[in-house]
Amino acid sequence: MLSIKNLHASVEGKEILKGINLEIKAGEVHAIMGPNGSGKSTLSQVLAGNEAFEVTEGEITLNGENLLELETEERAREGIFLAFQYPVEIPGVSNLQFLRTAVNAMRQHKGQDEMNAAEFMKLAKEISKQVDLDPAFLKRGVNEGFSGGEKKRNEIMQALLLQPKLAILDETDSGLDIDALKVVSDGVNALRAEDRAILMVTHYQRLLNHIVPDYVHVLAGGKIIKSGGRELALELEERGYGWLGIKDEETADSSVN
Amino acid sequence: MKPAPTLSTAFLYPAGQSLPKPLLALRKQRGTALVDMPLPTRKTENWKYSSKYLKLTDDMAISLPAEGKTGSSLAVPGYKVAFLNGVMMPEACEYPDLDGISIQSFSDLSDEEASDLADRLDSTLDNKAVQMARLNSARFEDGLLIRLKPEAVLDQPLFIVHEVTAEASGSAFPRIFVDAGRHSQITLVEEYISSGSAQVMVNTVTEFNVTEGANITSIRLNMEGENVQHIGSTGVVQQRSSRFESHTVGFGGPLRRHDLQVRLEGEGAECKLNGVVVTQGKQHYDNHTTIEHVAAHCNSEETYRNIAADQSHAVFNGRIHIHQDAQKSNADMNNKNLLLSNGAEIDTKPELEIYADDVKCAHGATIGQLNEISLFYLVSRGIGRREANVLLTMAFINELVEQIPVEAVRETVQGRLNHFFEQTFQEA
Ligand SMILES: Nc1ncnc2c1ncn2[C@@H]1O[C@H](COP(=O)(O)OP(=O)(O)OP(=O)(O)O)[C@@H](O)[C@H]1O
Ligand SMILES: [Mg+2]
Repeated sequence: MLSIKNLHASVEGKEILKGINLEIKAGEVHAIMGPNGSGKSTLSQVLAGNEAFEVTEGEITLNGENLLELETEERAREGIFLAFQYPVEIPGVSNLQFLRTAVNAMRQHKGQDEMNAAEFMKLAKEISKQVDLDPAFLKRGVNEGFSGGEKKRNEIMQALLLQPKLAILDETDSGLDIDALKVVSDGVNALRAEDRAILMVTHYQRLLNHIVPDYVHVLAGGKIIKSGGRELALELEERGYGWLGIKDEETADSSVN
Repeated sequence: MKPAPTLSTAFLYPAGQSLPKPLLALRKQRGTALVDMPLPTRKTENWKYSSKYLKLTDDMAISLPAEGKTGSSLAVPGYKVAFLNGVMMPEACEYPDLDGISIQSFSDLSDEEASDLADRLDSTLDNKAVQMARLNSARFEDGLLIRLKPEAVLDQPLFIVHEVTAEASGSAFPRIFVDAGRHSQITLVEEYISSGSAQVMVNTVTEFNVTEGANITSIRLNMEGENVQHIGSTGVVQQRSSRFESHTVGFGGPLRRHDLQVRLEGEGAECKLNGVVVTQGKQHYDNHTTIEHVAAHCNSEETYRNIAADQSHAVFNGRIHIHQDAQKSNADMNNKNLLLSNGAEIDTKPELEIYADDVKCAHGATIGQLNEISLFYLVSRGIGRREANVLLTMAFINELVEQIPVEAVRETVQGRLNHFFEQTFQEA
């Protein structure tokens, strides 16, 4: 499904990703862990096509197609979905309008008819229930004044609506209370499918109790320095990152809980 | 040193003589006072950013003929008054006999009524600040007088469609005077449109005398063509506990200027002024507003948004003057500006003069561009770049468009905005 080879990326002239290699197959769930500032969000944003980050070397393919040649919106239509670590507030655009525009853009891409307002409203209400968001949220501005947890649930709601091939979840579990974590994990588990892959960035082993990953990777200093099965997450929880020989500068702010 | 330019004498002579005598006399007197009137230049403070767009050539001095067919196909769900080149066209008007409300052409007034009106024309405007309005007073060929008796309520919006037919160069001087009796209510829509392509000037004056408890909603829609220089002035005087709400929506042109002056003269009076301006190409638009808090306990709330694309130029100048006796005034002015291209220019200036000590006065002005992160968020959901730009630009003015209380106007505005978006944003 997704193949990343020797990926280097910089922002404002500073190299953040220093040679990432990663293969993700359909049906798999991968977790990426690692200290603050190690490049996890950068990797996520680069996959989604954020032009603030410059890819200087390497390649990314999705089902054999070169992702780097596609614009962000084209990647989305090909099935890349990124749940943002910090979802963006857009006052003046209603959540409903945003979601419907997105869903219809996807449908149009697939040659399907657009959904009218009534049809979409029905679907949106169903899915907002699934992520335990009051449908009243649909009328508000995109993420406007949403609490941290509400924003994360809104990200999962979008994933459920858009049904991506590859869902990248950047710390969708942080800032959630126990109930919300359950709701979000149920949402992610609902996304799990034979023909879909999930890449989760997280600091917490607790999420991995709900969503059991097939592989766990440690990203530090812009490289994947260790990969393993789910037991790696447990080991990290117990021992921190020190034993992996991460240099101090790479754990500048390592507050892994 | 070059002498300051003055108004060409060609502009001093009105064509028609069909007005009642007292108005002809007034017009003549105003014309005499205009001899050697200096034209605004870069050094004229209130025309600093806009004087370069004002291009009055002598062939534009002549009054456009008050005849021809109105080309307007605007749907008007409500009552309609039609003006062509500044003159009322009775056959194109549509309104029934209304209880307590009279709608008359200046030409139809009796000498007595005209004399009464002559005493009051220009009374709502500060002539120094709206120097170009004086030209209208010297040149108007006709006008619309709306009088509401106390308690009279107009049950539907009254559309006043001002069309100019620019078959040849010339000018038009539409004029409106609204006299709203105590506790009367009316919603007025002024629509300015044009046909033809010759260089013309439209110079308008609209005045509202808003007496105690009256409630006026005024909508002004400027949609004239690229050949029309438009200079409009609106004066409002408000008495005790009255309310005036204005919605100005303007699309740019070679010169677009609107002065809106509101005087809150009676305690408890309240005004709400909303404005949306959209410019593209090499267009211009300049809104100058003044709110005079003369009496105590008055509220004013002002929200203007400018969107400038391409090499266009938008100007906002908002003045709030709180007089010494206007204690407990509450004034809130907000102006936000969106630049859609590096070549566009927006100039914004709040001007506050506060002479009372117990007042609340807030003001804010910002100039920004579309937010890259918001744009990325939208396109990361598969939304096309063009559509994402449109969503974010609409987000900037949505609130103001939604507040326009007449659906047909909202639809007209949305249609024009869609056209603007089509020309401004392309698919990546
Ligand atoms: N737009 C930017 N401009 C400058 N530096 C940036 C930018 N975005 C990221 N960085 C830097 O890149 C490095 C990696 O950041 P990134 O957000 O990818 O880390 P992370 O692994 O997601 O951290 P966290 O666990 O705190 O979310 C950091 O040093 C960060 O300051
Ligand atoms: Mg991060």
